[in-house]
Parts: sequence; C-alpha cells; structure tokens
Amino acid sequence: MDFKKTLIDFLTSFLIICNRLIGLVLEPYKTMRKISLEKDYWQLSIIIGIIFIYFKFIYYLCEKIYPATLVYSLFIFNFLLTVAFFYFLSKIFSKNKKEINLLSFIFTFVYSLFPTLIWFLSTSILYIFLPPPRTFSLMGKGFSIFFIAYSLSLLIWKFILVYLAVRFSSKQNFFKIILMIFLYLIWFIPYSILLYQLKFFRIPFI
Amino acid sequence: MKTINLRLKQKMNEVFSIEPNDLGAGFLTIYFRKITAYLKIMPFIYIIPLTLFISIFLYFILGRFLIKLVTVLQYGF
Repeated sequence: MDFKKTLIDFLTSFLIICNRLIGLVLEPYKTMRKISLEKDYWQLSIIIGIIFIYFKFIYYLCEKIYPATLVYSLFIFNFLLTVAFFYFLSKIFSKNKKEINLLSFIFTFVYSLFPTLIWFLSTSILYIFLPPPRTFSLMGKGFSIFFIAYSLSLLIWKFILVYLAVRFSSKQNFFKIILMIFLYLIWFIPYSILLYQLKFFRIPFI
Repeated sequence: MKTINLRLKQKMNEVFSIEPNDLGAGFLTIYFRKITAYLKIMPFIYIIPLTLFISIFLYFILGRFLIKLVTVLQYGF
C-alpha cells in the first residue's frame, strides 16, 4: 500500500515537472510564480536525481579526472551556496523578513537549472554524433552559427528564469535584483575560475 | 461554492504575491513593462530570431574565432 502511494506520488510529481518545464518555455512568468509557492519535495528529488544521472552519463562518455559522485557533490555544494547567498541577501534587503521563504528559493532555483541541464545534455550528446573540433568548411561554419544561436537562446532563457526565481523568492524590485546578481557574480566568477583550474568544471554547472 | 472561493483566494494570493516593479521614473517603468511583457509569454518567439541574428553578426565580426569558440564550448560539458 505504501509502495503504491509512493509510486503514485512519484509519477504525479514527474508529470507536474513535465508540465512545469513546458510552462517555463511557454509562460515563464506565470509558471515561476506557481513554482515559488510549491511544497512538493518529490519534484526536488526527481530533478536532482536527473542531474545525478547526467553526471554519471558524462563520466562514462569521456575520461574524467574525478569520480562523478564527487563532481555531483560539488555541484550540490555550489547550488546550496548560491541559494544561501540569495536567501541571506534577500533577508538583508527585505523590510518584511517573514515573507522570505527558503523553500521558495530552493524550488525556483532547482527549476532554473533546466536550461543548464538541457545545454549540458545536448552538448554531450552532440559530442557523440558531431565530435569536435569544428572545421572551417561550409557545414562547419553553419553548425557553428547554429550552435552559438542555440547556446545564446538557452543563456537568455537561463537569465530570465534566474531573474524570475530571485524576483518571486526575494520579492524585491528590479534594481535590487540586478544588484544581488551583480554581487553574486563578483565572487562566483573567480570561484568558477578556481574550479576550472582544479579541473572540476570547464563551464560551471549552475 | 466554498471550493470556488478558496481557489479564487489562492489565485489572488498567487497573483498579488509580489508588488509591481517601479523603476522610479514613470517613463522607465512604462518602457520596462512594455519590454518585459514580450518575455512573460512565449519568449522564444523573440529570442530565437534575435540569437540567430547575433550569431550571424558575430560570425562576420569574429570569423574563424567563432568556429574555434564552438570547438571549446563543445568540450565544455
């Protein structure tokens, strides 16, 4: 009976995630607003689980120095660090500190990982079918233009989702959110360079 | 009736969970709302042509460097 209930909860949450993913593409504002009020922990577990499968997949795809679980643990640490940073900063900026909810930050930031996951997953699949280096032929140039457009599209989508995640969780106005993101980048860029030097991530997974 | 009222209340709470953005100057707020309205529903309609244009422009500006950049990005995962 318990197993049946767990299975139903799991499948329901999975369907909600699929629905929310489509929502984030079609109506990011409205969907992120709904996500900020979410309390279903299954959704967090499923998304984090999918990311774990991705890290395992790329570990077998090409030779990595560090085991997948270690890199994944570092990703979790980075994620928690990011959430904690925005949460405490919002507490400082907010007049009504009671309306700042940590759960809202966690849910919105987990969902804002989708553009990152899609980009990393598609790039690793492309690595199998169209392995680099790219050539200077007509096809190579065409693919490069397409790949840059694709990456930029996902990057803009990522910015929109992160902005909305901070907006609905912190309930701050535009200027304060831009300031918060700027303060975040001040320490996150050198930190990413350090992770690159230590060969953990070439591009930070966040 | 009670269920409808509860749903309506929940929806109202959801919609009014944050204050509208105010950028200080009236004209700035108006332009901000006009621009962000395009990004709230179906943003990819605007994003895809924009990024295609940017990448073609970057190809003409950067040339071979763009192709090298794609190679680096493909190793980036």
